[in-house]
Order: sequence, then C-alpha cells, then structure tokens
Amino acid sequence: MKIKQEVKKKLNDKVLYTNLKNFASNYKVSRQNALTGLDFFKLRNDIYKSKDFSKEEIIALFEEFKQHVEKSGCTVLHAEDALTANKLITEICKKHNAEYIVKSKSMTSEEIKLNHYLEKQGLKPIETDLGEWILQIAGEHPSHMVMPAIHKTRQQVAKIFEKHTGEKINPDDIDKMVKIARKYLREYYFKAAVGITGANVAVASSGTIGIVTNEGNARLSSTVPPVHIVLVGYEKLVKNFSDAMKIIRLLPKSATGQNISTYVTWIKGSNPSFKSDTGNKHTYYIFLDNGRLSFFEHPFLKDALKCIRCGSCANVCPAYEMVGGHVFGDIYIGAIGLILTSMLHDEKKAKEILSLCIGCKACSFNCPAGIDLQSIISDLNVYMGKKYSVNPVKKFIYSAVMKNPAVFKTAMKTASFLQKPMLDETKENIKNIPYIPKEHNFRKLPSIKTKTFSELFTEKKFGEFKSSKKVFFYPGCAVEYFFPDMGVSMVEVLQKTGYQVDIPKAQVCCGLPAIHAGDGESGKKTILKNIKHMGNPDDYEAFLVLCPSCGMAIKEDFKKYTLDYIAEFKKSEKIGKKVMSFANFLKINNIRFQNEDDKKYTYHTPCHQGRGLGFVPEEFLKETFGENFIPLKDSDVCCGFGGSFSVDYPGISAGILDKKIENIINTKADCLLTDCPGCVMQIDGGLKQKGVNVKVKHLSEVLSNLKIQKK
Amino acid sequence: MTNTDTLLEKFIEKAKDVQTICIKTDKEAFKNILKEKNFAFVSLNTPFKSFNKECEFDESGIKDAIVNADFAIAETGTLVVDSTEEKIRLATTLAENLSLVIYASNMVAKLENIVSYMNDKNSADNAYIAFITGASRTADIERVLTIGVHGPVSLTCYIIEDL
Ligand code: SF4
Ligand code: SF4
Repeated sequence: MKIKQEVKKKLNDKVLYTNLKNFASNYKVSRQNALTGLDFFKLRNDIYKSKDFSKEEIIALFEEFKQHVEKSGCTVLHAEDALTANKLITEICKKHNAEYIVKSKSMTSEEIKLNHYLEKQGLKPIETDLGEWILQIAGEHPSHMVMPAIHKTRQQVAKIFEKHTGEKINPDDIDKMVKIARKYLREYYFKAAVGITGANVAVASSGTIGIVTNEGNARLSSTVPPVHIVLVGYEKLVKNFSDAMKIIRLLPKSATGQNISTYVTWIKGSNPSFKSDTGNKHTYYIFLDNGRLSFFEHPFLKDALKCIRCGSCANVCPAYEMVGGHVFGDIYIGAIGLILTSMLHDEKKAKEILSLCIGCKACSFNCPAGIDLQSIISDLNVYMGKKYSVNPVKKFIYSAVMKNPAVFKTAMKTASFLQKPMLDETKENIKNIPYIPKEHNFRKLPSIKTKTFSELFTEKKFGEFKSSKKVFFYPGCAVEYFFPDMGVSMVEVLQKTGYQVDIPKAQVCCGLPAIHAGDGESGKKTILKNIKHMGNPDDYEAFLVLCPSCGMAIKEDFKKYTLDYIAEFKKSEKIGKKVMSFANFLKINNIRFQNEDDKKYTYHTPCHQGRGLGFVPEEFLKETFGENFIPLKDSDVCCGFGGSFSVDYPGISAGILDKKIENIINTKADCLLTDCPGCVMQIDGGLKQKGVNVKVKHLSEVLSNLKIQKK
Repeated sequence: MTNTDTLLEKFIEKAKDVQTICIKTDKEAFKNILKEKNFAFVSLNTPFKSFNKECEFDESGIKDAIVNADFAIAETGTLVVDSTEEKIRLATTLAENLSLVIYASNMVAKLENIVSYMNDKNSADNAYIAFITGASRTADIERVLTIGVHGPVSLTCYIIEDL
C-alpha cells in the first residue's frame, strides 16, 4: 500500500517533526490568547448559520453579486470544472497580451492546478506570497493551507534562494531572505499585465470581495497590473457585510492566532488604473463550480462547503502533526483536506487518506465554521467501505464476531487461553508477541483476563443489591475482557452510595470499531442488537460508561444508525440523553472523595470524554486531590490509541504517544488518571515499554480506594 | 473615563501589539509634524490639504506616505482607509513607511460598527477599502515573524484628539 510507505518516509523526516511539533504547541497558545473574552462556540455557530445555503440560495447570491459588479463593467463567468476555469483564465491573459502574471495565494488556484496549465500555454505566473514563491521556485506544492512552506527549514530556504538568485545567502538571516524576496518580486508587479487573486468572502449584497493577507502581496497584485482576475469558489459567497465581518473576526484567530490579519482588502468593481488603456481596471470574476454546486444538496457533505479555509483543522490534528500535509491531505490539507479530496478530487486517493484520521474530534471542536469534520470523515469512511469493500479480516471480525455476543465471548476466551505462554510475571501484560513487526512494539499490550466483567458481576453477587436509585452500566468490550477491575471498582463505589447497578443481559460491542473501519452495515446490526440488551431508559437515572468512546457511540451513533427503526430510535434518543461518564455522575450527585495519600496525580483527558461526552473532571480532581493534582500539558490531545488505528499505523500512534509521555514525565506525577480503558491500554503500555515509573489508572480504580463524602 | 477614552486606550493597546507606532497629537502640533517630516506623498483632508503632495510611482517604491484613515477599530487595532483613488492605493502599498491619520472621534469598538460605512462606500459602482493593522509581515520561513514583506516596513498612526 503506497500510503504506508509515504507515512514511513514522513515519520523519518526530523525537520518536519520538529517544525510541526513546535508549531502545534505555539499555535494553541496564540489561538487561546486571540480568543480570550470571546464566546467562540457562539461566534462559530453564527458563521455556520450564516453559511447554511441551499443550491438555489447560493445561485441567487451569485446572481445578486454578478448584477452589482456588471454595473461597473466587470465580467462575471461561471466555470463548471477545473479545465474550463483554466481555459477562461488563459483566454483573458492572452487577450490582454500578458507574459507575466502575478498571483496572490489562492487554494482555489491550487485546486485547478492553474500554474501548471498557464505554464503549458507559455505564460509565466509568479506566486507572490513568500511561502508559495519558495515552493514555486523549488518545484513543490504546499503542505499547509495557510503556511504553505511549514515543512522547510531556513537552511533549505536559503539554498533554494541561492540557486534561484545566484546570491550568497546566510541561512540565519531570515530578515535578509525576506528582503531579497521583496526586492525580487517587486519588479514583477510592474512587469505583469494581469494580477490573479482569490477571495476569502464574496459579499452578494454589494458585489464586493474581501481578501485577507499579511504580506500585502494581494494588494499589490490587485492594484498595479491593469487586469484583475478573481478566482473564487461559489461557497465563498455570503449575504452581506455583517456576515462577512463574522468571518473576518474568527478566520485569522483560528488560522494563525492573530487577532486580525494585517490587511483585509475589500474590492468592488472596476477601480481606476493608470496602466489600463481605459483608465479603469479590467476586472474578471471566475466562479468555480468543479462539483461544489451539487454538494449544496448533499445531506452530510454540504457542511464542508461552510469551510472558511483557516487551515486550523490541520493545526490541531495529532495525525497531521506526525506526517504533514503532503500525506495528510491532497490539494486541500488537514481534516477538510480528507473531505474535499473525496468531494472534488480523486475518490480512490481519498479512501486511502481517510484512514489516517484517528477519530479524536479535535478538528470538529476547533473549526471556526462549526463543521463536525470528524463525523463527516466517519460517514465518508462508511461510504468508502460500502463502495470499495472493507479489509476482509476486519469485515469478518465486525460482522461475524463482534456483533454476536456468544461468538465474541468464545473467541476472547480462546484467546485468553492461547496468550498464556506470552504473559509477563504480573499476568497483566503480554510479554512479547512472536512474529509481529518491530514497529508494533512501542507499548506493552494488556492481557485478556480469565474472568470477564460480567462473570465477576455474577460471582460477586452485585445483582442482588436492590435500591430505588438505579443506574445502568454499559461495560463495553474493553472493560468486559481486558479491564474488568475498572467495572468492579465502579460498581462498588456506586453500591456504597446506595445505587443499584444493572448491566446488559449480554455484552455486545458498541459498534464504533466497525463504523470507524467503514463497515457501516455491521455497525448498524451491532447497534440494533445492543439496544435490545439495554435496560428500559425510564427506569434509570443514568446510563454510565467507563469508556467514553462507547459513550459517544451510544449518544451519537445509536440514533444515527437507527433512523429506519422507530422503536429503537426512540429508545436510543432516551438513552442518549442519559449517557455519561462515571465522574460526571459523581459530580452531578455531589458524591465527593477524600484522599489521604501524598502521591501526585495528573489527568489525561480522553478525546471522547471532553469532546464526545462534554465533561472534563478537572475541577472534581482538584477538589479530591487538592495541591497534589498537577495539570497535564495538552491533556486533551489524543494519546494515539484510536482502536485499530494504532494497529494500522503503529508509527503515527507511537509518535503521538511519545509526546504524551514526554508531557506526563514533565508533571513528575506518581500516577496518571484517565477515563478510558483504551487510553489506559495505550499510555500504560507505552510507559511500561519505556520503563517509566508512573502508574496509570482509570479514575474508577482510584476512587474505589478513597473515603466517600456524600455532600 | 469617557467611552471614547476607553476606546482610544483599547485601540492603542491592540495597535501596539502589532508594532504600530501610535502618536497622539492635536491639529496645530500635527501641522508642525507635517512640515518637519516632509513626506514624499501626502493626501489629507482639510485642514491639512495645503500639505498635499504627489509623487511618481514605480517599482523602486517611495520613501514614505501619509493619508487619512476614516475609522479606527478598537477591538483589533485596525485602521480603515478608503483607497478607491488609485494614488492612495499605490502610496499605501508601495511606501516603505506608511503613516495614517485618524481623529479620536472616529474610533469604533468593533468590526460590526463598520458595516454601515461599508454599505455606504460599496453602494458606488466601484470601491477599494483597506483594513490595515500594522506593517506588512510574514512568518513563512520557520514561522519567524518578519516585518515588511511586500508592503510597508513600518506603520505610524497619528491620532488627532479633537474632542
Ligand atoms: S474545515 Fe474548519 S478548521 Fe478546517 S480549514 Fe475549514 S474552517 Fe478551518
Ligand atoms: S478527528 Fe482527529 S485525527 Fe481525525 S482529522 Fe480530526 S483532528 Fe485529525
């Protein structure tokens, strides 16, 4: 598989690793600063709503825009596809006898591979954005939508400049390099007969475009040459200036953590131009369809058209951070890149790169346009799975084993027997697995326990404890087979505080692994079976999970996959409202604990805890452990587990885990707490493999040893 | 403190974050500044019209330029410049050092406060309005912030206290 080789190559690229790692941590800080005092979720919801158009509405906006600018003598053209757009632009350039063309950065022009086309027609397009220019003269393409040359070091840039300009360049003098670019590019603005820009917004109510830049190159490109071509996708249209301002407020904060970009340039119609034969600019607008318009009608891909191209879904993506944009995306990069590649480019390519998403939801929470990118990626995976078929081994596991409680249990029992010779002295972990490739060896795997949680539940007669206060506990596969103690601990705490705990009659997988792997059919069947074994939602105060990924599946996917089954849908809806993590339940019910040891504790927030179930127990932990609780840097960044992801891409998983471990070591804590058996598996396995002496515990395991204080 | 004072403070704070040099002045003192600085390009409204001065524009650029800003936006430290006139567009993009002049009474709090101005200006057949926040900059090489790429290498804002 080609993608695995590319991933490997990027994982060995030290420059890329350092650049992206530094960028990710600086970015988070500056973004946070830029957003201080603002209600990010409200603002992004406003953007989402203001960009929610049907196909008819977007065409009406286009007509409105067109009418306004045609009044001042501009030409507005529709380009159905990339080739048409390229041809139209070439014709305009030739008509105005252009040799040189200055361009400011435009992802849309990357989308249609404009430079390549123009060059073939004998024209000379010059990229004027510094990053784009570096790549143009190096013959490469961008690896980030906002910082195209983020994968390059100053040394590499100095070499590229030396070769191009013939001047000797000191790689440590970045200022000088920028000055060279300034001097070198300046003359082209004057030589060029045509300037091409994109647009960040196109305001229908007046026919004005808004361009956001820092360097000032778009201003020069749209001012000096006598001809201006604006290449813009239909999705950039907004109703009016109020809506446009909302985008201008959030775009730079999300993109680079700047409060606002240096220049926001608003251009309407044909402005005066001393170089033009008529005294006024020849202005052309090319509105690009290239498949967009039809997607305004699509039930779940439509949201991708709300993207304001801030690039930040790459900035927060732990998988992007490991491999960079030349692998994680195609023309468009980051989470939105995975999606747009499916919509606008090569579907086969998209299928490959979609598998690089670990499902952490960081992008969805960060997107200033309020797009739930992870959910779209998951839906696309299911679509691709249907169309191109899922890996047959996985398919067998999801359809024949995990969906079927009896078969699954037998399989796990057999495995627990077979693993015996491979266990270490504690019996908690597997010592070594013969014949597996070295790159999988970055963590110790937990053993399958000889007794399942359900068996322990019966053995300990937990079912005999009756009370009027009832909760339902869904253990999920990880607690059932690998970590039954987590479940036992939780039941003990709950019973001590007077709660009756019921569990499913049979343990069925939550369906998430199948869905994530693109096997939607098995996911659906699993979910339907699962719902049958769940208690009646009206009887319980809460549905508790110790695995937030199961919780998120119950909350979101149960409803999504039972749309055609009325009774199941109704039950899902009710359960979904009551599903929560253990800590959340404790907090709501004022159950507190007193800790007496003087060990130091820290906490890793599982992806689907904060971003799926929407609860982070930091405050609860501070109350419980006081001074001994030490916050973990980047606590909510993924640990790299992602279920089968860590098996498919062990290199990426290990790399993400390394960063987590580094942060854990820096806290100097004795024990890392978390809320997810998957995270325990990953982090504990990694720490043990590295010989780091920090205990990893599920919150439930630690709380069951503390004194309870019911407030 | 009056509302305008608070806005002014906020504007100056945000402008300084992006290395804009803010200078408070009054009409008379500002006239002296204009005399002293002898800008290469001046395009100002009354009462400073007599200082207006044009120059040649080519790829070698110009040393410095000073023009009016119509509004200042406090939340972002932004100056709003109507650059529909071509020489203003050229001067503000090609000047090494750019100076903008704003009346303290033209401070607004937020981007949204500019909407009616934008509607007004854009009701004409053509318009070119620039929001300028600091000197031109890039971070395209190793994310090192570098000031002065294609546009001005410095931005000065003269605030005329007319209240
Ligand atoms: S999808 Fe959202 S986060 Fe990603 S580039 Fe678009 S607006 Fe930014
Ligand atoms: S869900 Fe996580 S891994 Fe997937 S694209 Fe979004 S940020 Fe990246």
